[in-house]
Amino acid sequence: MINIEDIVDRIGLLEPVPPVATQLLVLAEDSDSSIAEIADLLMHDPALTANLLKICNSAYLGISRKIESIREAISFVGLDQIVDLVLLNSVSQNFQNRYDGYGLGEGELWRHAVSSAHVAKILADRHGATQNKHLIFTAALLKDIGKLVLGRYVAFSFEKINILVHSQGLSFNEAEKQIIGMNHEELGAMVAEKWCFSDKMTYIIRNHHLSDPAARDNLETAIVYLADIICMMMGVCTGADGLAYRFYGDVLKQLNLSVNDLNGIIAEMGEHQSSIENLVNLI
Amino acid sequence: MVNTVTHTQAVSLTTAVNLSNMKISNNPVETLVAFSIGSGIGLAIHDSVIGVGGILNIMLPDSTQTTGISAGRSPFMFADTAVPSFIQALYEQGTLPERMKVVIVGGANIVDCNGLFNIGQKNREAVQTFLSQHHLNIHYEDTGGTISRTLSLEIGSGCSSIRIFGRGELKI
Repeated sequence: MINIEDIVDRIGLLEPVPPVATQLLVLAEDSDSSIAEIADLLMHDPALTANLLKICNSAYLGISRKIESIREAISFVGLDQIVDLVLLNSVSQNFQNRYDGYGLGEGELWRHAVSSAHVAKILADRHGATQNKHLIFTAALLKDIGKLVLGRYVAFSFEKINILVHSQGLSFNEAEKQIIGMNHEELGAMVAEKWCFSDKMTYIIRNHHLSDPAARDNLETAIVYLADIICMMMGVCTGADGLAYRFYGDVLKQLNLSVNDLNGIIAEMGEHQSSIENLVNLI
Repeated sequence: MVNTVTHTQAVSLTTAVNLSNMKISNNPVETLVAFSIGSGIGLAIHDSVIGVGGILNIMLPDSTQTTGISAGRSPFMFADTAVPSFIQALYEQGTLPERMKVVIVGGANIVDCNGLFNIGQKNREAVQTFLSQHHLNIHYEDTGGTISRTLSLEIGSGCSSIRIFGRGELKI
């Protein structure tokens, strides 16, 4: 068994998510906060402002006039999209590397993360779960953060994990737990706690494969889970773990979706792929 | 004075065939690649006599069982609309059914004990049905399981290959 303390120590090597992202998430989810407060928060981070203006003035958004300030960006692009762009920009750095243990080349984990966040947004909109939409988007983006650390240990143990998956029918995260002593959900939750994410965010990251049956009743977690499943099925930068995760049909009932609806969401995502690719390349 | 024409060719050319898309080529230095196929199906067909081949990368089995999306907008997304169009496009390039080498790859499934969401299996069955309707035999098939696969087709040689993480590459 690998020494768990060694794994946990490596969390410190990650680039933490900047505080502005967590502050923004709190403001964006608070119905009492104003656009002015959000603009004020963003304006105090010059690097973030510069990046945001670059994105707003890119062909991706297709705005005909030049955007020169955060306030203009919010007016012309819309607050929701600005919040999502800031969150994407804030968390991208760690995800851009290659993670050989999971068979993911440079930028592939990021591409999977952005696609998952996009599907989660579609699911949240369809369900009317608009109250926590930024939490859902960000959790879908960050759900695999445990893989950033666990990847090197999966690489050492891949053969053993693979045997359990293919000969004993374990899911990849169950096999990780059995061979390494912890899985990327648990490690992701540790990262979330260390970086002072909200309890809700930490809960979603810890349960995004719904290993704990109680988490299947949690709407936000169910949405992030299903978004991940859809991206795996579409083969969006799936790596060594492939599709070796469990599907819980109850989640469809919880989200009031039929299998045909799900096919529709997969098809919709298929149509958005080039736009997502543009976004991934831009950030 | 003798006019000479010099043909220059790239040594190799790799073209990605994205999800819900197809590509047909007669360029002998071109390799078509469908990366990271999950539940979808990658279908490679090649006629070595005339050196024409293509890859189709479908995502869903049936355009009539999908809420809110029209196959007219994405004809290569669904097996029922994509496979017949792909085969017809190959015929238009001069390929003949008896010379076609057919390889199908993908159709992986999430671990679903109740079989509720087995799109991979439905995709595989749909593609097999349409190939059978066109009297095309499958030369090689690697489908199912929970693994993601990458399919490529060298137009010059007609050689297909399937890459799976941890298992290397199989040439067909």
